[in-house]
Amino acid sequence: MATDNPYRTPFFYGPEGRLIQVDAALEAVRRGSTTVGIKTNDYVLLASQVRPARALMQAPEKVFAIDEHVGASGSGYVGDLLHLIDEARVQAQRYRLVYDTPIDIISLAKHLGNYFHSFTLYAVRPPGASVILAGADQQGVQLYQIEPGGSYFNGMAATIGQNSETALEIIAKSYSEKLSLDDGIELTTKAITEAAGEKVNIGFGVVRKSVGKFEKVQHEVTAS
Amino acid sequence: MTTIVAIKSNDGVVLASDKRASKGFFVGSKDVQKIYQLDDSLAAAIAGLLSDAEYLVNLAKAERRLVSISRGFPMNVRESAKLIANIAYRGLKAYQPFYAELLVAGIDGQGAHIYSTDVSGSLIEEEFASSGSGSPIAYGVLEGGYMKDLSMDTAKQLAERAVRAAMERDPGSGNGVDILAIPLNGSASKVSKRVN
Repeated sequence: MATDNPYRTPFFYGPEGRLIQVDAALEAVRRGSTTVGIKTNDYVLLASQVRPARALMQAPEKVFAIDEHVGASGSGYVGDLLHLIDEARVQAQRYRLVYDTPIDIISLAKHLGNYFHSFTLYAVRPPGASVILAGADQQGVQLYQIEPGGSYFNGMAATIGQNSETALEIIAKSYSEKLSLDDGIELTTKAITEAAGEKVNIGFGVVRKSVGKFEKVQHEVTAS
Repeated sequence: MTTIVAIKSNDGVVLASDKRASKGFFVGSKDVQKIYQLDDSLAAAIAGLLSDAEYLVNLAKAERRLVSISRGFPMNVRESAKLIANIAYRGLKAYQPFYAELLVAGIDGQGAHIYSTDVSGSLIEEEFASSGSGSPIAYGVLEGGYMKDLSMDTAKQLAERAVRAAMERDPGSGNGVDILAIPLNGSASKVSKRVN
């Protein structure tokens, strides 16, 4: 019976009706490098901590273009994150083929949510990463967070990964819909620095409402 | 059915087409778009079944974008043309051919290129090419007028002459000439000329 020892049957319901694999995936996200997103009247900004690479190796990308008008970042197992980014990229093109129009951000978030969810129904594990999407569509600029259980949220700010609660507190204290892009970069840098507990390298991506295109901002090399 | 022409110049590529869609012995449309610009550096002229040709072009467009975003640098002209040729080949082998012949023309890191593909899935690089029901007549003009390293302007004029000649004698071609030029440096330009 599943209730005897839930770790013997980790793919079915655990005690108190929890899904053990989803819980474990969320824990993997919590251990990942910190990623934040903020949305204002004029832009959506993504910022992600880049953990240092080995000697002579380039640090991996953390901020990815999905299509011309949408980008993403995430926290958790990097291999799982890369897989999700590929899935998002293919879905963006598939949508264009079917509807001859760029994918709207909620449809992309929903697709990723459904994708995550499909792993929770069978004896497999869901990807151990959460994704934050930043994009522009017919309804304006959008910020979405998608989690291993398959649920997705939108809002003005999202923080995931190590000490994400600390990062969110910092953002909430100074957030305003009218925050300039420079101030937004400064605020997200502060949030990630505090969450990491030291100066770290950060990668940025932004979609400006006036431009409608996802642009990556060069790694801010804040650590030596 | 159609006349399409592609010419490589010393400074890029030129594509030209007529604007008639034939439905049997009836003129189905007088204003058809047969030249598709996939993006800033690649275009394709299509002959044959419009729906099959559009399907192949749209697939190539999507794949180019996906590969560009994924690996960070764009697909070159040969890769894009090969993608289309592979799908056409698969269709033929499965007894469900794509009734389309395409002239894929564009620019990339290695310069200007023209490729022609057909129902069989073949891929051939050319200096100049024509396809469609009017192509035998167009080739007559091209053989008389083509030289290596034509200027872009001369190439545009030659392409237009070739399509116009075909329109005179091929009932499947007519109603106007579209000309698209993709220079090695600078942006693509399109001209559309109605013929009454």
